[in-house]
Amino acid sequence: MTTDEHGPTQFAQRSWRPGPLEYLAIGLVALLLGQSWLVSIFDQPAVQTGATIFVAIIVQALPFLVLGVLLSAAIAAFVPPSVWQKALPKNQVLAVPVAGAAGFVLPGCECASVPVAGSLMARGVAPAAALAFLLSAPAINPIVLVSTFVAFPGNPQMMVARLIASLATSIIMGWLWLRFGKAEWIRIPRRDHLVGDSNWHTFRLTAAHDFLHAGGFLVIGGLTAAVINVVIPQEWLANVAANPLLAIVGLALLAVILSICSEADAFVAASLTQFSLTARLAFLVVGPMIDLKLISMQSGIFGRKFAVRFAPTTFVVAVLLSILVGWWLLT
Amino acid sequence: MTREVQSIILLLVGSAVVRISWGTTYLNYVKEVMRPWLLISGAILVLLGVLALIDALRRRPAGHAHAPGIAWLLLLPVVTIFIVAPPALGAYAAARDVTNSTPVTTSLAPLPAGDPVAMYLSDYVTRAVWDEGRTLVGRQVELTGFVTANPAGGWWLTRLQLLCCAADAFASKIEPVNLPAEAVTLPENTWVTVLGEWVPGGGTGTENSIPLLQVRTITEVLEPENPYD
Repeated sequence: MTTDEHGPTQFAQRSWRPGPLEYLAIGLVALLLGQSWLVSIFDQPAVQTGATIFVAIIVQALPFLVLGVLLSAAIAAFVPPSVWQKALPKNQVLAVPVAGAAGFVLPGCECASVPVAGSLMARGVAPAAALAFLLSAPAINPIVLVSTFVAFPGNPQMMVARLIASLATSIIMGWLWLRFGKAEWIRIPRRDHLVGDSNWHTFRLTAAHDFLHAGGFLVIGGLTAAVINVVIPQEWLANVAANPLLAIVGLALLAVILSICSEADAFVAASLTQFSLTARLAFLVVGPMIDLKLISMQSGIFGRKFAVRFAPTTFVVAVLLSILVGWWLLT
Repeated sequence: MTREVQSIILLLVGSAVVRISWGTTYLNYVKEVMRPWLLISGAILVLLGVLALIDALRRRPAGHAHAPGIAWLLLLPVVTIFIVAPPALGAYAAARDVTNSTPVTTSLAPLPAGDPVAMYLSDYVTRAVWDEGRTLVGRQVELTGFVTANPAGGWWLTRLQLLCCAADAFASKIEPVNLPAEAVTLPENTWVTVLGEWVPGGGTGTENSIPLLQVRTITEVLEPENPYD
């Protein structure tokens, strides 16, 4: 606010100008007055369906996002940085697989892992290791593996294939970053300015800040996914399924577009019965690592320069490993 | 963005989530199991918002907590929930889903006792399409669903099912036959309860087979609390 920069004496001389708080109030009043007009726009079945899907994605993801920001705030406020240096091997080449395997213990979906990985980096964890964790945590945690097992009752090897392909993709991505990544591509979230009077105060400030940040990007992702969901004709899927290679790439792209939580994607994959098991494996490996809402959240937290390089590379590596593991275990 | 606005956004998002999960509105978007998590996470956001507002009003120093401008977007779902309140998915979403059922690997248990026996549409479709209606023969069933127009004329009795949330809903459709004259042209999204029996002729063994149901009685009903199967 202007009072912080110019002091109260100068403030008194200035004429009144609306700040964000006033805009918010004016906006809310305008919305209330224009409600019937807004509702009439939403009367179209397509718009209505899109709006329902949009709200559904946000509502479904919200508890996981809250869990994620609480966890990342707890890391920032209560865990001393030295813990991470002790827990991970000094050698970064070794730290990557250790961090990737550590993804097994965080029962969260991908919305939770973006802020957690951000706060790990802010606490001095090497970006390569934090990125391996970012990719593996939503894909290989016990909840996701159990749901995959339940969704494919006839194919228990699907769960194993998912575990192997996801872990391998996250480790390879960590090593690729170690070898080729440049420091200027990534903006490591700084937390130093969010220090409160006490650990609890820091915890609370960090949680609120992270929620507002990641939540905004979740909205962009949810909105995009909802629009595309309503726009793409379902018949396209049947045509894509007919060609084996196209089916794999097609389902991988579908995973990016649909942006479903990793806890639920196995059930969606199971329902796509016209596709090969390998194509569905690609859907399960790509989805938790890279989708529209994640690209949006990652570019928000680590910067756009990071996201334009990291997202396509992850996509290619994940698809290649799905083909490899699928050929090995699923045929 | 000022600290006051940040705290108000947290309050609004939290209260929107609590608001829909307090009653049954949340069932339009997600499954019942989400309810406690929605209430808890909504309450946490409200608490964070209240504490942040108190901080801001008492001008408690908090370093330089620059809130990101992107947070304004969080008002979008809040506005959609409070002002538009999008309804459960209906005929439009159902018509887009061309797959009607997926094969089952387990053997089907006999229908529970009861005459008529109330069942889910998805269950009826599975039994009719993938088991040639064996478990349905000679039983009177009661099904509740909504009307989706059949492009070839008439309508399908429809119900959507969620895997996780409304973003992945898929439809089960049944073609009613022998409809009374007043029910032949019901408007889309009308909810009805139908009593009837399975009859062969709807095709079996493919993912887009739509089974038939010989209608005995049909009643208009209100949309159920949980609109999904």
